[in-house]
Amino acid sequence: MKKRGIGVGLSFYGTGYGNGFPDISRAIVRLLPGGRIGIYCGVTEVGQGAKTAMIQIGAETLGVTEKDIDLIHEDTSLMPDSGTAAATRQTYNTGNAIKVACQNMREKLFEKAKVELGLNSTAGLALEKGEVVLSFFPQKRISFKRLSEIYKDETIEAEGEFVAQTTTMDPDTGQGAPYWPYTFNACAVEVEVDMNTGIVNLLRAVFAQDAGRAVNPHLLEGQMDGGFAMALGYTLFEDLKLENGVIKNNRFSKYLIPTAMDMIDVENIIIEDPENTAPYGAKGIGEPVMIPIAPAILNAIYNAIGIRITELPVTPEKLMKAIREAEVNN
Amino acid sequence: MKLNIVGKNIIRVDAQAKVTGKALYPQDIYLDNMVYGKTVRSTKPHAYIKIDISEAEKVDGVLKVFTYKDIPNKNAHGVVLKDHEAFASKKVIRIGEPIAFIVAETQKICEEAYKKIKIDYEEIPAVFDPVEAMKEDAPKVHGDSNIIYHFKLRHGDIEEGKRKSKYIVENIYKSPMVEHAFLQPEAGLGYLEEDGTVVVVIATQYPHYDREEVAINLGLPEEKVKIINTNVGGAFGGREDISAQIHLALAAMVLKRPVKVIFSREESFLAHSKRHPMIMKYKTGADENGYLQYMEAEIIGDSGAHCSWAMNVLRKAGVHATGPYVIPHVKVDAYAVYTNNPYTGAMRGFGATQVPIAHEQQMDALAEKLGMNPIEFRMKNIFRRGSMTATGQILTDSVPLDRCLEAVDERFKFSQLWKEVK
Repeated sequence: MKKRGIGVGLSFYGTGYGNGFPDISRAIVRLLPGGRIGIYCGVTEVGQGAKTAMIQIGAETLGVTEKDIDLIHEDTSLMPDSGTAAATRQTYNTGNAIKVACQNMREKLFEKAKVELGLNSTAGLALEKGEVVLSFFPQKRISFKRLSEIYKDETIEAEGEFVAQTTTMDPDTGQGAPYWPYTFNACAVEVEVDMNTGIVNLLRAVFAQDAGRAVNPHLLEGQMDGGFAMALGYTLFEDLKLENGVIKNNRFSKYLIPTAMDMIDVENIIIEDPENTAPYGAKGIGEPVMIPIAPAILNAIYNAIGIRITELPVTPEKLMKAIREAEVNN
Repeated sequence: MKLNIVGKNIIRVDAQAKVTGKALYPQDIYLDNMVYGKTVRSTKPHAYIKIDISEAEKVDGVLKVFTYKDIPNKNAHGVVLKDHEAFASKKVIRIGEPIAFIVAETQKICEEAYKKIKIDYEEIPAVFDPVEAMKEDAPKVHGDSNIIYHFKLRHGDIEEGKRKSKYIVENIYKSPMVEHAFLQPEAGLGYLEEDGTVVVVIATQYPHYDREEVAINLGLPEEKVKIINTNVGGAFGGREDISAQIHLALAAMVLKRPVKVIFSREESFLAHSKRHPMIMKYKTGADENGYLQYMEAEIIGDSGAHCSWAMNVLRKAGVHATGPYVIPHVKVDAYAVYTNNPYTGAMRGFGATQVPIAHEQQMDALAEKLGMNPIEFRMKNIFRRGSMTATGQILTDSVPLDRCLEAVDERFKFSQLWKEVK
């Protein structure tokens, strides 16, 4: 016999190192030969899409396309420290540092353009498709490429730094502002529980994630799918079989994680509500996307069979044991 | 604000290299005159050790076997507390702790030498249960106490919260230790540049942190250490602590030849941190109108043999223990505890992934007692703009949780289905 149930899970997630610890990101922007823009920044691409998102924030601020930017983020001798690729902090923190650096770079480019265009002031100058343009008399314009040729013996660069704001909590009461900003989400799932085998199958899932603003909606949805799959493994499969300090399941033939066959098409919804202190309003979502899934599944299992499972993972063995115990108690 | 690039579905700039196999990971990189390394790891959870490398060093093709005696400066690293030894010196505290690093001309010779390493383990009582480890008479992993950290959250008045609660739900929840299971097991290279700069090529989450640890352990100024961060085959928190960086830098510096190491999947399971398992005791109360009145939680997190991020993780668990709900009276005690288990550290969600397993089931259990739809009950209590968290923080800006929940309810037809079933 199979029983179906629905469940919901919610979460909030404080991004950044938090608790008043100095959380600093830095970036350097440089005009490169050919008018390309180099962004030097210790941001790590761990698969989350940071490289693309950082380039998009830089391109937006400098009025160029993503193809005009080189992100140099591999070598510690070439790039400033931007903190760790963790704590859901790169989009917000390092994104802000890149935005500030690009805004400072814009001023540097305006100064050079003022000289080359014979202007009295930088007022009215704007950036447009790789050119500095006097917005109310657009015939007055000069390209980044031309500037890079004229100033080939000079480094035109600007720095940017962003320091996140949190406070240290009181050690006796925990009162304080430990994280900022917070990201929110909600997920609902429908499951089917096989009462004879203890196997839980997911039938349907709707997942809404607050992003402040989505820098790249497809990448964001990729993160939501990935977070969902990871949470699915956490909830139903993953078991190290830890005994007296020994990991018994130490390879993927024994340590089961979800495959594509276990995943379902999650209906992802991106909720945008730009955060004032964030670059273009974008908050981090990397970690939160895995959080509300486990509770939604657990609540759906309860809704299906009337048994509350309080210990993960909900393996078939564990669920069958709980079903048998409930039968005995009834 | 009109935006041109932000908000666009630009194809990820690293996609083509990754899907065509052109992207380089440390394992893919070969250097002239390169030799190979292999880490010797503890097979016992708690033991005094004596190491004999003499037979292994006699194997033809072995350049050197490094141990704690070869560390030039500080044999200690760690993201918060420096409680990892680069090589165990006197005592091992977990299975998998590095003891030695064999460097030989080929990987095959490394394996041969590995069999000739003699480690004499004098086993001592170990502790694997964090609740046991908190007791005074438990075996100690480091120092005098296994309790690394105690986070306290006190908001409002718990007794008043209990008085105002018509319905109270109490439960104990347990979450497991799990593995990051990233696609690319750890690998790396170390080599020297002409000016003596030590270079480590590795896939890491934080190259500047790695540089600092390598410099401190080797006694070099930071500008004489360079970290090259290659493509990273997934991380999820598992590449925040040091893995092979110090061993590679040391071997390259001493032998003046490029050295490469590749962990097998089984070694990768042993080498990096895991997710903190947590025991979460919860009591949550609501009044007759469905408003949350109080929540009391005790959370015990198993840090295993090293601290790594234990304080930060248990702090994060404690701050997020309420879930996204306004609760006037809150008491949370969260503890991080050493055991002789594999060490735990950062993993996606960092303590905030564990607590919703508890608070969200508490919400449903309360909604059931109140005879309410779980979404209707949550809507009464969720954070909105201007809400105060249990730490006293005001959520002043972007707080669209109501919109998230409404969107899910509408698309899923949750409330409608709930009504039909009832």
